[in-house]
Amino acid sequence: MSDLLHGPLFAITLTLLAYQGAMFLYLGSGRAAILHPTISGASFIALALILLGKDYHAYYHNIDWLTFLLGPATVALAVPLYRQLHLLRNMAGPLLITVTVGAIFASASALILAWLFGANQSTLLSLTTKSITTPIAIAVTQDIGGITTIAVASVILTGVVGITTITWLFTKLDIQDDRLWGFCLGLAAHAIGTSRAFERSPVAGAFSSLALCLTGAFTAVFVPFAARWIF
Amino acid sequence: MLAGFLTLLGCQLAGEFMQRALDLPLPGPVIGMLLLFCGLCIRGSVPKDLESGSQKLIELLPLLLMAPAAGVFFLGAGFADQWPAFIAAVSLGTVCTLVFCGLLIRFLQRRNSHL
Repeated sequence: MSDLLHGPLFAITLTLLAYQGAMFLYLGSGRAAILHPTISGASFIALALILLGKDYHAYYHNIDWLTFLLGPATVALAVPLYRQLHLLRNMAGPLLITVTVGAIFASASALILAWLFGANQSTLLSLTTKSITTPIAIAVTQDIGGITTIAVASVILTGVVGITTITWLFTKLDIQDDRLWGFCLGLAAHAIGTSRAFERSPVAGAFSSLALCLTGAFTAVFVPFAARWIF
Repeated sequence: MLAGFLTLLGCQLAGEFMQRALDLPLPGPVIGMLLLFCGLCIRGSVPKDLESGSQKLIELLPLLLMAPAAGVFFLGAGFADQWPAFIAAVSLGTVCTLVFCGLLIRFLQRRNSHL
């Protein structure tokens, strides 16, 4: 009987169940950021594993084929990037400079703050990708030797912090242009920010998803080079 | 849709191959993404199968990410002293990034429209 609990069938059933429950909560709450399906779904899985007294690593091993799909999902991001490319027209200069400098700032500010608060090397490596979309962040983190789990957690919480603070911050800074608003949110808070930007307006959403794609691609190119050089 | 998956997997495979053959520091899937992007620019349109296949995968991202994210609860005592640094980087770092990017893009945008 207990062998059932140790196989892939149980692991995938638990994961899909957690996903359904998480989506139900998320949509039911009117897409509250703190109930983002990745957060509530992960909590649900962790709770179930603890209650059943099961080992996380054994569970993870049983669904690694699902995690494998993150590879092709990363490649798939080329499609939205291609689709949003036309937005660069007229504003190419400001947007490209902001992406390059902003993406470096996002990684560097995380590294400096974490270092000031006593982070060790593997934590630092896992925080470099906090502002980019999760599949790319995972690919980069694994490559430079960080901890995947920390990278995923930092990416998602960064998204939550971004969408809960932007309205207040940008009102204070008096930035109300939907294009700039969406672009900054997509740059700093990736896909979570992009879904929030679409709630503001389709224009904000489109600029946000352009920023998400450009930041992801640019960070994925410069972080591995920088990591080789710094660490 | 399956033809779309085939394109995605093919690009990833080519990316992984290039990474190993040329000893690039970039992750294979990221090279695959750049390859596919170049392909789309050359072709000038997105094939229907690729559109639906990539759309499906991107929609399923929260499902794919739940299991790695659950690992946060199982980091163990070794990570306990790292939480302050983690929280500082994620909260303060993100707020600083938003303010910095907001000011920068507004400055550039104004200069751009004056030219």
